[in-house]
Amino acid sequence: MKSAKVLRSLVFAPVMLAMAGAVTFAASTGAAAQTYPSKPVRLVLPYSPGGIIDYVGRTVAQHLSTTLGQQVIAENRPGAGGITGTDTVARSTPDGYTIVIMDPAIVINPTLQPSMPYDLFKQLEVVSMISSSPEVVVVAPELPVKNMSELIAYAKANPGKLNFASAGIGTTPHLAGELFKQRTGVDATHVPYKSIGQSYPDMMSNKIQFAFSSIAGALPFTTDNRVRPIATTGLKRSEVYPDLQTVDESGLKGFEVDLWLGIFAPSGMPADVMSKLNGALGEALKNPELIKAFAKVGVTARGTSPQEGAAFLKSEFDKWKKVIEDGKIKDN
Amino acid sequence: MDVFSNIALGFGVAATFQNILYCALGAFLGTVVGVLPGIGPVTTVAMLLPISFTLEPTSALIMMAGIYYGAQYGGSTTAILINIPGEASSVVTSLDGHKMARMGRAGPALGIAALGSFFAGTVATFVVSFGAPPLARMALQFGPAEYFSLMLCGLIAAVVLARGSIVKAIAMVVLGLLFGLAGSDVNSGVRRFTFGFQGLADGIEFVALSMAIYGIAEVAINLERKASEVAVAGRVGSVMPSWADIRHCIPSVLRGTSLGSVLGVLPGGGALLASFAAYTLEKKVASHPRTFGEGDIRGVAAPESANNAGAQTSFIPMLTLGIPSNPTMALMIGALMVHGITPGPRVMTDRPDLFWGVVASMWIGNLMLVVLNLPMIGLWIRLLRMPYRLMFPAIVGFCCVGTYTINSNVTDVTVMAFFIVFGYLCLKLDCEPAPLILGFVLGPMMEEYLRRALLISRGDPTVFVTSPISLGFLIAAALLLLVVALPAIRKKREEAMVE
Repeated sequence: MKSAKVLRSLVFAPVMLAMAGAVTFAASTGAAAQTYPSKPVRLVLPYSPGGIIDYVGRTVAQHLSTTLGQQVIAENRPGAGGITGTDTVARSTPDGYTIVIMDPAIVINPTLQPSMPYDLFKQLEVVSMISSSPEVVVVAPELPVKNMSELIAYAKANPGKLNFASAGIGTTPHLAGELFKQRTGVDATHVPYKSIGQSYPDMMSNKIQFAFSSIAGALPFTTDNRVRPIATTGLKRSEVYPDLQTVDESGLKGFEVDLWLGIFAPSGMPADVMSKLNGALGEALKNPELIKAFAKVGVTARGTSPQEGAAFLKSEFDKWKKVIEDGKIKDN
Repeated sequence: MDVFSNIALGFGVAATFQNILYCALGAFLGTVVGVLPGIGPVTTVAMLLPISFTLEPTSALIMMAGIYYGAQYGGSTTAILINIPGEASSVVTSLDGHKMARMGRAGPALGIAALGSFFAGTVATFVVSFGAPPLARMALQFGPAEYFSLMLCGLIAAVVLARGSIVKAIAMVVLGLLFGLAGSDVNSGVRRFTFGFQGLADGIEFVALSMAIYGIAEVAINLERKASEVAVAGRVGSVMPSWADIRHCIPSVLRGTSLGSVLGVLPGGGALLASFAAYTLEKKVASHPRTFGEGDIRGVAAPESANNAGAQTSFIPMLTLGIPSNPTMALMIGALMVHGITPGPRVMTDRPDLFWGVVASMWIGNLMLVVLNLPMIGLWIRLLRMPYRLMFPAIVGFCCVGTYTINSNVTDVTVMAFFIVFGYLCLKLDCEPAPLILGFVLGPMMEEYLRRALLISRGDPTVFVTSPISLGFLIAAALLLLVVALPAIRKKREEAMVE
């Protein structure tokens, strides 16, 4: 199939070149947006089926199809913690027909990995941030703590005895735990799992004492208190856990961890294609059905302009870079 | 409410027209994707997820469960017919199953797989009904140390499982372990054995490895043989297993079912071990074990029953604890949450219709698999009548497309090409690939559990002997080693191999 594609593109290369020239010309006169989108748009999901990204991505694809007036096809391209799928988009033509949805790993990977196949800030740009979701701090049921300050006090009284779980090196639950250690001076051991869900049996039997978990991962275990939720990591309280204090409220001022998701495109998209795509996304994100679907997994829809998105991306990049460097967490 | 009224409630829910329809649809889709390489149950469930949001949650879960165990069954069909195990659990089935097909006994092999699975499914349904809460508590007793010892025991059993030279079997297990280590290390994120290839960052793809060694390398070996020898495989023979076959298999099915039911409850890889363990057990306890690996029908019946029983009881940790045993179940949990149902101990009391409906549908689904598949056997074996010169290129094409479509990753196809050469050499050198596969699958899990156990114990290795469960497995592993190492037994074993 691939070779057929290569062959076809070889045959049509001269035609394509001519067309590309025409498009570039048209773009400068603002005609591209009138024709865009004239064929289905591909939304790459850089993780395996089954996670939050898969669910949010497919929901967005469904609603974006309506607001964009073209089919948006969600496609899983998993591998290397999201790098493989993001890379295919970074290398594709910036025509608005190939976009990717990513989580904070997109800003963590460049700091953590010794080599990257693409340059995040040169080869990709934000179309729009699309969602925001706090993490929830959960503790083992045997642990005698009811809130964040008690956890800190307990951890300080038992230095080096506590374990915290994560979904793997460099994932948001891991770095949130590191940030917590750096902010409080608590000494706890990081125990990575392949997904946060796998850590719950060990947390129920008190082999793991606490974790910064995604809300979707924690819900099955917190509804009947098999593990105890004690705080959420947004600056505002979570609608899923309205009774829980935020970490910020409980004394660690400004402590915020956001499991955000954003949609990215290869750099150099014509301005009118960008604005059309951003507009269609913004509209899709206001759809009550989408908002309801997001809320079921603890995710809040949030649209931004490309500029706001880029500024947010940079601030997240700097924030996690500092945590990784201060904590001396480094791959290879 | 007692168990029987619960089961009655379950059948009341599962036997409505709508739910039977979804159950049949799931079982059928599952069989189809199980037969097709490259598209597995995970992808299928993921694609159907948006549709399931519009369904009644019970119907949605019934359909997904059908896909899951249907795929297990479909995977065995290809393992028997063309020696391509699509999933780790059907690797063992291909050992004797494909040999049977080549002897013209594909019909009985497929038949016993269906009947054994059905029996195991029936028993497992009852196990789930009666034993869910206590079995779920047992699963919670398993921490990293216990899982490590269980895996170690399984791996040592793999050496016993091998035919021929023990030295070769150990070499293959160790090679399998090394191949399994490729990719990103869970604890440090360091990439091992990737040689700078991005495509190897997640390790070697199982399907690429197993298709290369079992599917294509076998083709190459067959091509070397004279046409007359190969043509034997085209002989079809009887379609259904004879009554003698069935009677011969009853003890194996019973042992496989009980082993599978118990191991399936462990979410950390127990179900995967079930078919391997059942096969090993059969070789140890069955009469005339030397025919194993040469097309013994019991070598199909035991792992197939274990596999299906394990697939079913692995719903226990999911439905009662909310802990998924595999990615397909993680998706099912996701689907339930979207419906506002949080999987966990409360499901049984809050939504008895859902819990018992799904349990009852498993039995209906298994019945459907038999009904769907027994008539299909005639069709499947007609496939074997196809001349091998047409079959070979079809298998190679099938494998390449299948491997590529898993991750849309060209590296996987390259990896497959490497393992075709490797597998060919192994077969030429008379090295069994089964221990390699087991080492490959269990190695990374073992490492993960070992390091996690040591991380939590702060490097203290006594955790493995202070836990009674872990100690039990370690003792069992030591006994197994002793059996293999005892010179008298070994001599006898080698004598048996000469024949």
